[in-house]
Amino acid sequence: MTAVVAVLAALLVQFMLVNRLPLPAGGAPDLVLLAVVGAALTRGPAAGAMLGFGAGLLVDLAPPTAHVAGLYAFVFALVGYLAGRGVGGRAVTVVVCVLLAPLLAAAVSGLLSDPRVTAATLTQQVPVTVVCTLVVAPVVVWLVSRGTRERYAL
Amino acid sequence: MRDSRRARLILGILLTAALVILTVDHRTGQDSPLRPLRAAGSWVFGTAEQAGAAVIRPVTGFVDAVASAPGAQRDIARLRAENARLRSDLAASKVDAKRSAELKRMLGLASLGGYKVVPANVVARRGQPGFEEVVEVDAGTDDGVRAEMTVLNGDGLVGRVVHAGPRTSTVLLLSDPGSAAGARMEEGREIGVVHGVGEHGRLLRFQLLDASVPVTRGTRLVSFGSRNGAPYVPGVPIGIVEQVEPASGDLTRTAYARPFADLTALDVVGVVVRPPARDPRNAVLPRREGTR
Repeated sequence: MTAVVAVLAALLVQFMLVNRLPLPAGGAPDLVLLAVVGAALTRGPAAGAMLGFGAGLLVDLAPPTAHVAGLYAFVFALVGYLAGRGVGGRAVTVVVCVLLAPLLAAAVSGLLSDPRVTAATLTQQVPVTVVCTLVVAPVVVWLVSRGTRERYAL
Repeated sequence: MRDSRRARLILGILLTAALVILTVDHRTGQDSPLRPLRAAGSWVFGTAEQAGAAVIRPVTGFVDAVASAPGAQRDIARLRAENARLRSDLAASKVDAKRSAELKRMLGLASLGGYKVVPANVVARRGQPGFEEVVEVDAGTDDGVRAEMTVLNGDGLVGRVVHAGPRTSTVLLLSDPGSAAGARMEEGREIGVVHGVGEHGRLLRFQLLDASVPVTRGTRLVSFGSRNGAPYVPGVPIGIVEQVEPASGDLTRTAYARPFADLTALDVVGVVVRPPARDPRNAVLPRREGTR
C-alpha cells in the first residue's frame, strides 16, 4: 500500500514539477524509477516485479505520452525484479538499477525503430539522467523504504 | 528466499504481458485497442495534473525567477525572515502579470494571422528521463480541441495536439525528434521540413528540399501549412536560422534554427481551433531587430 502511494506520488511530482523545472544540463531525475527500486528493495523479487509492471504501465498511460505503451511496464518490471532480488549490496543494487533502466528503455525503443533514440541520446541524454537520478537516489530510496521493516539480507 | 521459481515465473509472465502490449500498441498505431485505457489515464491524471497546477505554478515561477537572475540570489540570502512574506507576495503578483502579458501577446499573434485559438496552460511535461518531448495542456475536447491541431504561443509555433481528452490534451513539441513540420523561408518560396533534435528545444533542424538554394544565417522560417490546416496551419513563425551546414552534395540542404518560442519554459499556449481563411504569409513574423 505504501509502495503504491509512493509510486503515484512520484509520478505526479515527476510530471507536474520536476520535469518543468529548468535544471542544469536539461536533465531531471527519474523519481518513479527510484520509488520502484526503493519499494522493491525490501519486498523481494516477486513483489518488485509486479510493482514495477504496474508503475511502468501508469507511466505509459499517464498523460502526456507519445511513446508506445508497454515500454516502461517492461523496463520497470525487470528493474523491480532485479532490485528485489538484489545484485550485491544495497547501494550497488540501486546504482545498477538506475544505470540499467534508461539503457533498457533505449534498447527497446531502438528495437521498435523509434526516431528519438540515436547515438546522441545514449551519449548525451542518458548520462545526464543517470547522474541526476543518482544524486537524489539516497533521499528518495530512504523515504520509500523507510516505512517497511528490513527484510532484505545480503 | 532471495530468488525463487515463483518470482521468476511472475517476472516471465509480466515481461511477456509487457511485450504483448508493446507489440499490439506498436502495430496498430492510431486505432490501438489501448485507446480506452489511454483515455482513462488521460482523464484521471489529466484531472489530477490540472488540479495540482494551481499549487505548482508559484513554485515553478519562483524557481524560474531565481534561475533567470543569479545575481538576485545574493540579495535573497541577505533578506531577513520578516521580508519572506512580502517577497512571496511580490513574486506571485509578478508571475500573474507575466502570465497575463503572455496571454495578451499570444492573442495578438493569433489575431494578426486570423487564427481562432483556445488559450490553455501547460500543466505537465515529459522530457528527460525518457526520450519524448511532450506537454499536457488544460484544454480538451470540451473546449473544441481535437487531435492534429496546431499549438502556438505569443512567440511562435510550439507543436501539435496528438491526443485530446475531455479536459486536457497532449501536445507533441516541435523539439521532439519524432516531430516534422513543413516550413517556408521568409524570403522566396523555398520550402523544407523542420525536425526536432532534442537538445532541450534550443535548436531545430531545417532541411531545405532544394539543395541549390542558398540559406543564410538570420533567415526566418514560417510554417508552410498542411492540407486543411491539420496538423499545422500556415504562416506561424517557427524560428531563425543560426547555423548552416556546408553543402555536402546531398539532395537536401541542412541548417539549424533557433525556435522563436522558448520550448523549455512554456506556460500559456494557444490551440488553433480554426485555421485562417488565407495564408497570412509573413504578416505574423516579429519585427526584425536592428540590422544583421
